[in-house]
Amino acid sequence: MANDREVLREIWDGKLPVCFQLDQEEIMEIQQPDPFYVMVPRLSYFPLVIDKMKRHFLRFISQENADNEMWLDYNGQPLKWHYPIGFLYDLYCGSDPQTPWILTVHFSKFPENILLHCPNKDIVEAHYMSTVKEADVLKHRGQVMSTMQKKDHNQLWLGLQNDKFDQFWAINRRLMESHGESEGFKNIPIRIYSEDGTYIQRLINPKNSDGSRKVVQQLISELYPENPVKLRTHGINIPLDTPLQWLSEHMSYPDNFLHVCIC
Amino acid sequence: MSNNSLLFSINNEGKVYALSTNGSCWREFMYLGLEFKTLSAVPHFLWAVGGDRQIYLHVHGLEIPIRVKEESYENERWLPLEGFSSRLLPTDRYHFSSQDGTKDRSIDGIRLPSMAWQWEGDWQLELTLDGQPLDHDGWCYAVDFPAQFGPTKQWKSCVRRRKWIRYRKFSAMNSWCAIAPLHKDPTQEPFIDVSIGGNQIPYAAPGTLSVWAITAQGRVMYRSNVSATSPEGLKWINVSIPPNCDIKQISVGPTGLVWALLWSGRAIVRKGVTKDCPTGEAWLEVKSPEETKLTVVSVGYNVVWAVSSDTRVWFRKGVDGNACGSSELAAMGSGWLNINGNMMHISVGINDQVFAIGGSNKSIYWRNGITPKELSGKRWRMVQANMQVSRTSSAASIVSSASNQKHLSLNLLNETVPELKSNINLRNSWEESHSAPIENTLPLKPSKELKQKTSANIENIDLTGKSYETTLKNPRAWSPVRSVGSVVGMEAQPDSDSSVFDIDSGMFFDEEVSQTAWGTCDTAWSFVEAGACSVDSVQPPHWFSDSQNSHNTDITAKWRLQILDELKLRSNYNIDLTKFGIAIEEKGWTRSCEARLVNTNNICEECIVSLYWHSSENTGTLSVFQSDGTIKFIFNLGEVTSVTTSSEPGSPRISLTIPTQSSQVLKIQFISEMEQEEWLNVLVDITTQIHGLSGRPSISSVWAVTNTGDVLNWDPAPAQLTAEKDAGCYTKEIQVFGKDIQKGYTTTLHNNFPPGSILNVTGCLNDDINRFHINLQGPEIQKQRHRIENEVTEIPFHFNMRFDEGVVVCNTKISGLWGSEERYQLPISPGQEFSIKFLCDTVGFTVTVNDKHFCTFKHRLSPENITSAHVLGSLKLFSMEYSSTSVIIGPDEMFWKMIGGYLRKVETCANTVIWGISHDHRAWVYTGGWGGGSLKGLGSNDGIHAMLDTQTYCVYENQRWNPLSGYTSTGLPTDRYMWSDITGKHKRTREHTKLLNRHWHWISEWMIDYSTPGGVDSDGWQYATDFPAPYHGKKIFTDCVRRRRWYRKAQIHTEGPWIRAGSTALLDFSLWSNDKEVSVWAVTLGGDVIYKTGVTAMTPAGTHWEHVNSPQPLVSISICNNIIWVVGRKGELYYREEVTKENPGGSNWKLIEAPKSNISSGYKSGVGAKLVSLTSNSAWILLTNGSLAVRTDISRLQPGGKHWKYLTDCDTTYKHVSCKDQEVWVVRSDGSLHRRLGLTTDNVLGVAWQPILNIPLVYVSVRGAS
Repeated sequence: MANDREVLREIWDGKLPVCFQLDQEEIMEIQQPDPFYVMVPRLSYFPLVIDKMKRHFLRFISQENADNEMWLDYNGQPLKWHYPIGFLYDLYCGSDPQTPWILTVHFSKFPENILLHCPNKDIVEAHYMSTVKEADVLKHRGQVMSTMQKKDHNQLWLGLQNDKFDQFWAINRRLMESHGESEGFKNIPIRIYSEDGTYIQRLINPKNSDGSRKVVQQLISELYPENPVKLRTHGINIPLDTPLQWLSEHMSYPDNFLHVCIC
Repeated sequence: MSNNSLLFSINNEGKVYALSTNGSCWREFMYLGLEFKTLSAVPHFLWAVGGDRQIYLHVHGLEIPIRVKEESYENERWLPLEGFSSRLLPTDRYHFSSQDGTKDRSIDGIRLPSMAWQWEGDWQLELTLDGQPLDHDGWCYAVDFPAQFGPTKQWKSCVRRRKWIRYRKFSAMNSWCAIAPLHKDPTQEPFIDVSIGGNQIPYAAPGTLSVWAITAQGRVMYRSNVSATSPEGLKWINVSIPPNCDIKQISVGPTGLVWALLWSGRAIVRKGVTKDCPTGEAWLEVKSPEETKLTVVSVGYNVVWAVSSDTRVWFRKGVDGNACGSSELAAMGSGWLNINGNMMHISVGINDQVFAIGGSNKSIYWRNGITPKELSGKRWRMVQANMQVSRTSSAASIVSSASNQKHLSLNLLNETVPELKSNINLRNSWEESHSAPIENTLPLKPSKELKQKTSANIENIDLTGKSYETTLKNPRAWSPVRSVGSVVGMEAQPDSDSSVFDIDSGMFFDEEVSQTAWGTCDTAWSFVEAGACSVDSVQPPHWFSDSQNSHNTDITAKWRLQILDELKLRSNYNIDLTKFGIAIEEKGWTRSCEARLVNTNNICEECIVSLYWHSSENTGTLSVFQSDGTIKFIFNLGEVTSVTTSSEPGSPRISLTIPTQSSQVLKIQFISEMEQEEWLNVLVDITTQIHGLSGRPSISSVWAVTNTGDVLNWDPAPAQLTAEKDAGCYTKEIQVFGKDIQKGYTTTLHNNFPPGSILNVTGCLNDDINRFHINLQGPEIQKQRHRIENEVTEIPFHFNMRFDEGVVVCNTKISGLWGSEERYQLPISPGQEFSIKFLCDTVGFTVTVNDKHFCTFKHRLSPENITSAHVLGSLKLFSMEYSSTSVIIGPDEMFWKMIGGYLRKVETCANTVIWGISHDHRAWVYTGGWGGGSLKGLGSNDGIHAMLDTQTYCVYENQRWNPLSGYTSTGLPTDRYMWSDITGKHKRTREHTKLLNRHWHWISEWMIDYSTPGGVDSDGWQYATDFPAPYHGKKIFTDCVRRRRWYRKAQIHTEGPWIRAGSTALLDFSLWSNDKEVSVWAVTLGGDVIYKTGVTAMTPAGTHWEHVNSPQPLVSISICNNIIWVVGRKGELYYREEVTKENPGGSNWKLIEAPKSNISSGYKSGVGAKLVSLTSNSAWILLTNGSLAVRTDISRLQPGGKHWKYLTDCDTTYKHVSCKDQEVWVVRSDGSLHRRLGLTTDNVLGVAWQPILNIPLVYVSVRGAS
């Protein structure tokens, strides 16, 4: 059970300084807009934190684009809104930290073949909840989510949206409990991303066949027997002797998945 | 964690080891040069068959000695010439007899049952009768023998008697004690197996035990009269067995059910074992499973497990412990079930938990997942506990020679100093027990060989735990003396020794030493005995390497610290962040649900409860809307002074106290228990945050317990810290805005008005004003005149401006009568604004009007009597300021934080040590944490432990006799309910008895109580002439009604910041602390007095109990500064003489003159005391009729005090009182909490009660107050 509040809180409070700049092509005014600086929670999603920024840039762009869906890129790489912000940063800037993280804002030329559309926050919520459900299927055969009430689901989402640790964890701790005698999840919801953004997702048991706790080192040698890699999440390298069960309980993103980058 | 119990085992060398459920290391029993073959245990009692095929008993872990009171009545008859003499009539009873006179109890003839017993003192006279002191010869008188005895001699008194008492003590505690062999020559018929059980025979008296054994000739023996107070029993009784049965093993379950195995591999079962017939009626044969030969069988409560010769494990289904005495099927079960796993030995423990020894690796396994619903469990888990290095190997002494005292006895036998000590102990004990013939020979090992071994050991350092032979140098000590109950060897001193009875470490253990003292090794076990082992299947002990317990070590793991450090480093961005905004605006959150508002008449009203909370502003509101959406209440959560549960079965409720609201108490009933718990969690969390409370409450806290078992704490320290102190004065502004002064306005002055107090009043007089007054006055007292009215009889200072007469009058009212007036000129006129300041000093009041000195008024009554200020007149008040030399905290500012846990009593002292008692009388120690149970997740998990408590529910079945049908359940129309509570006023049926919430579960069925006070017949009935009348156990001619009590036990599983402190059941306890050492005195369930040694802030649970002899069974105790008072079961009061720091146990008890009742009841019989709480100079006594009496002038020189005083200002009755120094707090019979105002060193009675909290409480402790 996730009970290490100190780690949980530290992860929850993780923030990134981001500098949004409007794409030069979008600027229709003579006056250059100021960049928009903001501290964003690593655990959140871009559509949840960019309302103010959008208002800031709207008056500089062509009115015909004003109703278009806004999208972001980093170094020409469109950012997928359905990934947590912290993970996107780890993916693109993990090995080469950039403060602040400079992102470009676009209102036109939506890269249809790369990005999903996100007309409103309900879509984010729907995507988020489905990921949590998927994780619960892996962890508990979906039994925890199905016993929760609608208001619990709602509280989970509101906790994330409003950046309320207690509100979120009041519900999430139920998802992070292990059931039955096994004292561990059935499988660890983990996605391991290569630098190009593709990921592998396997059924990973938190225990070795002899019943001992599986640690990161053992996972790596299972998945990458040839070249030992290092894994990175939440801006830090994961120590190799960290047990996977603990890692999943404490360092999963709010969607209950471990999003880990190879570096 | 909660319950320390032991798992016993024997290794392949015949040595006995024990593993504590609180520990994680096997500890060896002291080796006595005797191997053991088999063991059988129930808690505290271990029976074994030794290598010499004799039976041994080991009594351990009892914190108070087994004491038995022997009584004998000396009877005398009055003869015309000689007066009273021991010559009795031939029809009379014996000169020395039992109470009913039927048995001869000649004092010389009463002997110790065995060598294991010692007398405690000589025969003594009992000098009280029902709490009344008798003359120093202890005689009580009666008309004739079977009659009521009274304390005084009357003209018609023809007989008299007095009671002699003497205690005997079981002295063979913590040592092996030999049980007499069957024949003079012990080798004639040795034993091959022994089994103890029967500690839960349905309906049997508590303490009943049953021991069965098998001799080498195949005879089955039952040991008669074994019980918790007679551990060795009386004698062996042969139980016949069917022909052609050769028995090799026997097992007795907790319900007394006996299974035995034959050499042929078949099993036989004893049927008809009940409380009245513990040996049963006949044997029944049970078919072996699948033609296998059974080798081991073990009986549990509702199960029987067996192992067959092919190491397969068998579970017998269908066994029902409650019915096994009456039903053959329940005793035999219905069929065998093969369980996976290969075992060679098996043992069933408490709660049907199962342990086994693996067939191949000889390791011990525990069956995981056994619950009452799933008795066969889920899978085997290996017990992997470290081994203590054998006591007899010298490695232990090398480690411990340099270490602390605690390990002294590890080298007990190898080093000179401790050895001396052990010699002395042993010698003493021999002398005391008037020892039997001692054989100086060693039947098993010649001493020469022993000496060699000793020297050899010094070179052999062995960490594997493989033991060496004994190194005993004092062969006398352990020679198995062949007499009943002889002490075979002394277990090392449990207090100074890290013996098996300790938790591995206690709370504070020298890690370094502990690491080296243990070795891991694979021991091959040959025998395991779980009969005394209580394992919680939900929270198993730390015995398993794969347990979740390993997570705790994660906190200190290197990788975790690395992760945390790196996470923290992330926030070093090295850039200026001032221009960065916040992405997500801080917003409060709301939570609402449909609920019901419960009013004082228990009527519900639909409502919607809505909570708004803004964490960064630290504010929150609770709104209650009616179902039409209109607002019923809305208030700030900061106004809430307590959040508690007030659930009833099926109605999950929360109570909030809000003194500022008109309703004061808000009771909300939620739709489900889950919702109620969530709300409780949130409300407690938020209100605690609002009051800025974190961490451990200060020692000056007041603790209280509600009738729902919630533990509350009010900590004055935060208020003391934040209160502004200005020129030595704390000031509080009293809200007077909008108050109607014309009708009179009264405000309580929380700290009275001692010298140094100031009251500052500003306002404006109306133009039409005639008079106004400001009274500094005492409490209102109810007076019965024509009608009931309230009157203030004591007004120390009356300040009256009379514009109609043109004077200012100052006066004092004493006992309702005005004194002589002091008159002054008017300083102000109508229509003017004014400021009046009253300053109290040691001499009198100084009044300043509009910053000019106006007058002084000398005290005529002590200003300590002032409890309130009263203003009346045609004027407007602007402000009122009350200043005092100490912090002013009104009841509306006392926030009672729910601490967590489920308890019955909590006691504090002027130290951080806080103890509690649960409903099942177990002692708990506060760990300093917060949360647990429904408060889960609020505080950190530090100090949160599992808590267990048991409560017994009772219903009474009532019947009335009628001439035709005898006793039936049809009563008279005027009768009580045929199923009722004890009063008969409330209907209570077994079917409708519900548990309070989902954390409770039944642990028994409804059972007839055969120990109902007053006695019962064989069906549990007790008879009386009519309801409600005294009930008796034997039916007599005049009886028309009968009743019997049914009971059912329920258990709660919860968590809280409390940890179990020993297993001794306590009735009451009291704590006192002057410096670092804390005195903890307690009364056990049996009424004995014990005190705990070694209690400090670091070791709040102390080390061990010391026993103090008590004159009578006691019920209550209080200690203050080495003065100790106790209350006897019959209401008498004693104090302890000569208690000093050096002699903490004191010398003896002295009876204190009994208080008189101040409530005149028709009964002549005195009203006894029920409870006592001591301050440094007085004792507050709660009497059995609910009133309070105060003993004054208690001092070190006069610990019994001088006078009794009684509270007369209030007719209510009380439940509990706690006091210290100038603080006296009570819980009234209605559960409300009050504190006494106006206490001074001169006025120990105080002046008035101030209501503090109006929720149903059961207990309060202010003994930490400073």
